[in-house]
Amino acid sequence: MADRRPIYLMSPALAWLTAFMVVPCLLILVLGFFRRGIYGGIEYTFTLENMALVFDPLYAGIFLKSAVIAGLAASIAVVIGYAAAYAIASMPARRQPILLFFAVLPFWSNYLVRTYAWIVLLNREGLIVALARYLGFEGELPSMLYTESAVVVGLVYNYLPFVILACYAPLSRLNTEIVEASRDLGASGWTTFRRITLPMTVPGIATGFVFVFVLSIGNFVTPALLGGGQFQMIGNLVYAQFLTANDWPFGAALSMVLIAIMMGLLTLQTFATERASGARRVEG
Amino acid sequence: MSKALLSIRDTSKHFGTVRAVDEISLDIMENEFFALLGASGSGKTTLLRLLGGFEFPDSGSILLDGEDISRIPPNHRPINLMFQSYALFPHMSVAQNIAYGLEMEKLPRPEIDARVNEVLDIIQLSGLAQRKPDQLSGGQRQRVALARALVKRPRLLLLDEPLGALDKKLRSEMQLELKRIQDKFGITFIVVTHDQEEALVMADRIAILKDGQLLQCGSPHEIYEHPQTRYAAGFIGTMNFFPVHLSGKTLVMDDGGRISAAIPEGLTEGSEAVAAVRPERLHLAHKAYKNKLTGRISAIAYHGLDLQLHIEAAASPQPVMVRLTADEAEGQPLSIGDDVTVGWSAENTRVFRD
Amino acid sequence: MADRSTQRLMLLIIAAVFAFLYLPISVLFALSFNEGGLPTAWTGFSVKWYGELLANNDILQAAFNTLIVAVASTIVATLLGTLLAIGVEIRRRNGRFLETIIFAPMIIPDIVLAIALLSFFSMLDVRMGLHTIIVSHVVFNLAFVCSVVRARLKTFDWSIVEASADLGATTVTTLRRIVIPVLTPAVVAGALLAFTLSVDEFIIAFFTAGAGRESITLPMQIFAMIRFGVTPEINALSTIVMTISVIALALSQRLNRGGIPGQ
Repeated sequence: MADRRPIYLMSPALAWLTAFMVVPCLLILVLGFFRRGIYGGIEYTFTLENMALVFDPLYAGIFLKSAVIAGLAASIAVVIGYAAAYAIASMPARRQPILLFFAVLPFWSNYLVRTYAWIVLLNREGLIVALARYLGFEGELPSMLYTESAVVVGLVYNYLPFVILACYAPLSRLNTEIVEASRDLGASGWTTFRRITLPMTVPGIATGFVFVFVLSIGNFVTPALLGGGQFQMIGNLVYAQFLTANDWPFGAALSMVLIAIMMGLLTLQTFATERASGARRVEG
Repeated sequence: MSKALLSIRDTSKHFGTVRAVDEISLDIMENEFFALLGASGSGKTTLLRLLGGFEFPDSGSILLDGEDISRIPPNHRPINLMFQSYALFPHMSVAQNIAYGLEMEKLPRPEIDARVNEVLDIIQLSGLAQRKPDQLSGGQRQRVALARALVKRPRLLLLDEPLGALDKKLRSEMQLELKRIQDKFGITFIVVTHDQEEALVMADRIAILKDGQLLQCGSPHEIYEHPQTRYAAGFIGTMNFFPVHLSGKTLVMDDGGRISAAIPEGLTEGSEAVAAVRPERLHLAHKAYKNKLTGRISAIAYHGLDLQLHIEAAASPQPVMVRLTADEAEGQPLSIGDDVTVGWSAENTRVFRD
Repeated sequence: MADRSTQRLMLLIIAAVFAFLYLPISVLFALSFNEGGLPTAWTGFSVKWYGELLANNDILQAAFNTLIVAVASTIVATLLGTLLAIGVEIRRRNGRFLETIIFAPMIIPDIVLAIALLSFFSMLDVRMGLHTIIVSHVVFNLAFVCSVVRARLKTFDWSIVEASADLGATTVTTLRRIVIPVLTPAVVAGALLAFTLSVDEFIIAFFTAGAGRESITLPMQIFAMIRFGVTPEINALSTIVMTISVIALALSQRLNRGGIPGQ
C-alpha cells in the first residue's frame, strides 16, 4: 500500500475543506477591511474604520462583558469539571469508562434542547418557582430567567461534559506510583495534590478552560435564549451585523477579533501543555 | 548486625479471598542488605507495600525499633521506597525531585541545598541537577530515584525491583553500585526481586516467598546449598531432580540405581520422593563417588570457562544438566551420542518429600 | 490508601454532577408526557403532545428537511472523511499545517464558520437552501468521521496488508477482504456520529439556509418556537430529538469502543 499515492485519497476531502472552510475564512479576514455600502452591500475600498469601530468604547464594552461572562463560565466549569474528573478517576478502573460515557453523553445531544431545559426550570411559571411556592415561599420571586446568571449557568451546563473529558485524560494517565512516591517522601494528601497532581494535570485544565471560554465568548444561542436580549454578547453582535443590521464588513471585523482571541488562547494552551511536558512520558 | 531493626510478626494481608501475605514473621537487622525473593504473585510486593505504609495489614504487627508502625501512613514513617517505575516527578528537575522529601521535613533552604548537592555527588550526577527526568537515561533515572529516597536518611530503604528496568550489562554494574551506596550510607536495604541471581549477588540474607508464605530465610550460601523445599531448590540456581522411592533403607532411582543421601524424616517404605543435585556437583570422574548415573549426551554447550552437558538418562524425565569446569573437561573427548557416567557425593544430594 | 471519607466524598461529587447534568433533561422528558402540559401540576400521563406534533405541518416539513440534510451530508462526509483518514494514516508523517486543516472544523466556533460560509455563498451569488446547508455540514462532519476512522487506523497493524499481498492477494482483494472489514465498524460509528451532529446542528444551518421557509430544519424550528416560550409541543419534540441522538451515539459507541472523538 505504501507505494500508492495517499494524496489521491486525501484530495477530495482536502479540496472540500479548502473550498468551504479555508477560502470562506480568508474571505472574512479580507471583508473586515472593506467599507459598508450605502444600501448595505459591500464597497470594495480599503478601510480601517471597521477595526477602529471594534475598539470604540461601546463595542469594546460588549467585548469586555462577553469576556467576563465567558471567563466566569469557564472558571466554574473547570472547578466542577475537574472535581468530577478527579472523582471518576478515583473509582475502580472497570467502572470508569461507563461513568465517563454518561458524563459526556449530554454533550453530544442537541444544544438547543439542553438550553431550553433551563428555560423550563427557570421561567416565571417554571419548575423552580413552582417548587418554591410548594415549599411555602410567598410573594414576588426574583426573576431567574433572562439574567446574566442564567446565561452563565446555561454555558456551564452545556460545556461541562467537555471539561470533564479534558481533565480526566491527564488524571487517568497519572501513574499511581507518582502519588505514592510523594506520600512516601513525607507529603500529606493535600500537599501531594497541590505539588504533584495539580501541576501534572494543568494541560487538561487549560484545554477545558480555553474550550469553554472560546465557545462562550462567541456564543449567541445561549444569550439569546437565556439572556432574552437583555444584554448583548459578541456572538449576538456578529449575528446582528449579518442578519439584521446588514453591516457585513463590521461583522467580519468583529469575527476577526474573536478569531484572534481564540488563536491567542489556543497558543497559551499549547504553551501550558508543553510546560507540563514529561507528564506524558510517565503514562501507563 | 546485632539487634533487629524491623520485626514483622504474624502479618497477613488479604485481598478478597486471595491471601497476598499469609502469616509472615521476619526479623531484619540493622545495616542488613535483605532480599525478598519470589515469583510474581508470591506476595513480595504486597509485603513491601505493607512496610512502606501503602497498605495496612489485616492482622499481625510491624515493629520498627520496637515500635508498632503498621497503621502509620507512609508520610509519617522513617521508611522510604524506591518505586519500580522510579516514579520521578516529571515536571520537576533532578535537584527539585531530590529536594522534595527534605522540603516536606521543613528543613531550612541552605541545609536542603547542601544535602541535595552531597547526594548528587555520591550518585555522580552533579552535572545533571537541572535536567528533567525525561532527559535522563534509564540508569540515570534509577540513580535519581535512589538519591531521592536516600537523601531523607531513612531508617530503612525499600527497593521494588530496583534493577528491573535496566539492561543486562547495566544491571550487573548497578548490583555492585547499590552495595557500595548501601555501605556508604549505612542504611538498611530491603530489595524485592524475582531475579534469584540478583538476590544471590547483592543480599546478606534472602527470604523466599511463595503464595504469600515464607518458605525459607537465610544467607545466600545457606539457601543455595541447603534449600529446605523442592520449590526453593528449583527456584534458586539450576537443579537436577530425580524421582526416587524408599526401598529398605536406601533410595532407588527409576533406572534401578541406588543412591545414598540423608533420608528426610517421615519418609516411609515405598513412598515417592525427589533427589536433587546441582549440575556443578556432577563429575565425569565418577569412580570417586557413591552415587552414579549413566546416560547419553544429547547436547553440549560451551560457556567460556565451563562446559555444559545435557544427558538423557533413564533415571530422569528431564535431561540431566552437568556443568564441567574447563580443567575437568580437558582431555575428555566428548561428543553428542556418547554414553557417559557421572558421579556425585552423598553430601551434595538433597532429598525432598515432594 | 483510599480512606472511607474520601471515597464517600468522591461518590457524592459524582452523584451531584450527574444530577446537575441529567435532572434538567429528565424534567423535560417527564413534562412531555404531562396531560395538562404545564410544569406546575401533573395531571396525568398522556402522549397527546406527540400527537399534536404529527398534526403540525411546519414541524413535519422541518423534520423532513433535517432528514434530507443529515442523510446527504453524512453520505458525502463518510466517503470523504474515510478516504482522508486512510490517506493521512498511510502517509503517517503529516505536516502541522495539514493536521491543523483537518482538526480545525472540529474546534472552529460555529458562528465563525457560519458567517464565513454565508459571506462566501452570497458573494458567489449562490441561491441558498438545503443544498448549501448540506455542503456546510459536510465540512465538520467529514472531520469527525476522519477522526473516528483514524483512531481505528492508529491501532491497525499495516503489516497485515503486506501479509495479504505476500499470500498472493491483489490490492483490490486486500482492500475488500482485509481493510474494509477491519474499518467497517469505525466507518459506521463515524457515520452515526455525523448523522447526529447534523440533526442537531443549528447555527450553521441557520446562516446558510437562505431566507425561505421551505428550507427550515428542525433545530431552526425549535429555536423559533423556544423564543415564544415554553410549550408542551417543544417538550415532546425535544424528547424525540434527544432520544434519537442518544440512540445513535450509543450505537456509535458500541460499534467503536471509545471511539467518540476526544475520548
